[in-house]
Amino acid sequence: MAEERDLNGLPREKLTEVLESFRDPDVFNAVTGPWKSRVVWQDGMRARAYMRNHQVDMDEPGDLTATDVAASAHEQLLSAIGSCMTVGFVVNATKQGVRIHDLEVAVEGYFDNIRKWAGVEDEGNPGYGRISAKCFVRADADEETLRGIWRVAVEGSPVTQSVANATSVATDFEMVG
Amino acid sequence: MVQPPLFPVTVVGSWPRSAELLRALRLKQDGDITADDFNAAADAEVLACIRAQEEAGVDIISDGEQRRDNFYSFTVEKLTGMRLMRVSDLMDYAKDRARMEEMLRGLDVPSFALRNPIVVDRLERRQGLALDELAFVREHTDRQVKVALPGPYMLTRSIWFEGLSDHAYPDPDDLAADVVAILRDEIIALRDHGCDFVQLDEPILSQVVFGEESTGTFMCAALPNSRDPAGELEFAVRLVDWVTEGVTGIKTGVHVCRGNWSRSEEALLTGDYSTMLPYLARMNVDQLVLEAATPRAGEMDVFSGFDGGKEIGLGVVNPRTDDVETPEEIVARVKELLRYVEPHRVYLNPDCGFGTFAERNINTREVASRKLQAIVQAAQQLRVEYG
Repeated sequence: MAEERDLNGLPREKLTEVLESFRDPDVFNAVTGPWKSRVVWQDGMRARAYMRNHQVDMDEPGDLTATDVAASAHEQLLSAIGSCMTVGFVVNATKQGVRIHDLEVAVEGYFDNIRKWAGVEDEGNPGYGRISAKCFVRADADEETLRGIWRVAVEGSPVTQSVANATSVATDFEMVG
Repeated sequence: MVQPPLFPVTVVGSWPRSAELLRALRLKQDGDITADDFNAAADAEVLACIRAQEEAGVDIISDGEQRRDNFYSFTVEKLTGMRLMRVSDLMDYAKDRARMEEMLRGLDVPSFALRNPIVVDRLERRQGLALDELAFVREHTDRQVKVALPGPYMLTRSIWFEGLSDHAYPDPDDLAADVVAILRDEIIALRDHGCDFVQLDEPILSQVVFGEESTGTFMCAALPNSRDPAGELEFAVRLVDWVTEGVTGIKTGVHVCRGNWSRSEEALLTGDYSTMLPYLARMNVDQLVLEAATPRAGEMDVFSGFDGGKEIGLGVVNPRTDDVETPEEIVARVKELLRYVEPHRVYLNPDCGFGTFAERNINTREVASRKLQAIVQAAQQLRVEYG
């Protein structure tokens, strides 16, 4: 029988049950990782990422001589941050029984020193030095409650915290053939 | 009916909505309450708005547009063939999403908060656009009544969206004839039901003249990318003339401002009337209702040589500021205009409404009342001097 999606498009009771199950070590280990993505170069600056049974294309703007058929990877990082916070907001609102009418997160970032990416400078951080996110929400709760849900969503966002806490990235290399 | 004196004081239209009214509006839009339930809630708010204007001494009053989502989107409920769509819904159809994103960033609003009426089928007048608003306010005041309607240029240009409208109107300009017919019928009906003054709102003319290519407002979904200001202004003149041709027995006006969605002056458009005025002066209306209190609107000397027998509804207070202009400041501003326009042709009003968009009151009712009172005091001083 189909699950009753009774709040914000989610089955509130079942969701709470699933989240509570994270206390179980086996469940915890299973959801901890590894999470995987395989990125395959297509042509030019286009790449395709495969994640479980999904795929996402990435490209770069035409100004960079690319074909601009998809958003760039760094833009998708911003989107991932916003999406992750969105999911966190919805999950926590649903747990608290708060009905959301509209929710939107606007994210923007500024590179520290993109010249390093371009190869015209050797020093500096080519990554985003500043990222900001603003949440807009219309929901059936008072402002204090909603601000609390937002705070929990931000603090509990795996993607946001991966960026905010400068997660180490171990890299490896192999020449094939 | 109380006849207005010299330097009549009036409003541009909207009044700040209460949180309760806004909530009721959203419940109605979500289908959670009926239109009758909403109107019952709105009646009390309109009455309060009428009283506030009367107590301030306003000569020609409005209903504060309390029943409207915004000054033009309300037409969705009154016409067949329209859908009120959020910008978030339009994103899926937009060719230039990056431009829409820049617009949202500039306004600092979420895409779900902006609603644009979009034509999705042939337009027909289902009921009067504002006859219900007029009937209620007419019943509860002996003052003259003004009703604001979206102008024909703005409606024609703002409601057509490629991918949604083209099957009904393959070319955006095809819309014009139907929009004009609807507005013309409405003005005649308003006149026949006791409306004294109808104002056609054409704020996107400012976008045409002052807007950068890279900027935009949600109101100009259909503005051509390669804009031709002279051609667009000429088109606007033609449409307004078409609407008002041969209509007598009701005062007609056209209102222009440079945006009223933000209290940030930097977010709004800047430019004087020098480009626009020759076109406005040719429009077949009695009055030009012009934003003029904000410095962004330029100086009065642009009216040097202005003729055409038109009245000027001069904007003398900025609806977006907390500071209330003094009567002396207002008198001084009016006297600048009186160098070029005769006293009997000058009306006084705020630059724009106090709550053009339901979710964006740009001032409190208390400040709005005090600003209207300041205009009335200025008018009284001017009447002594010029009466």
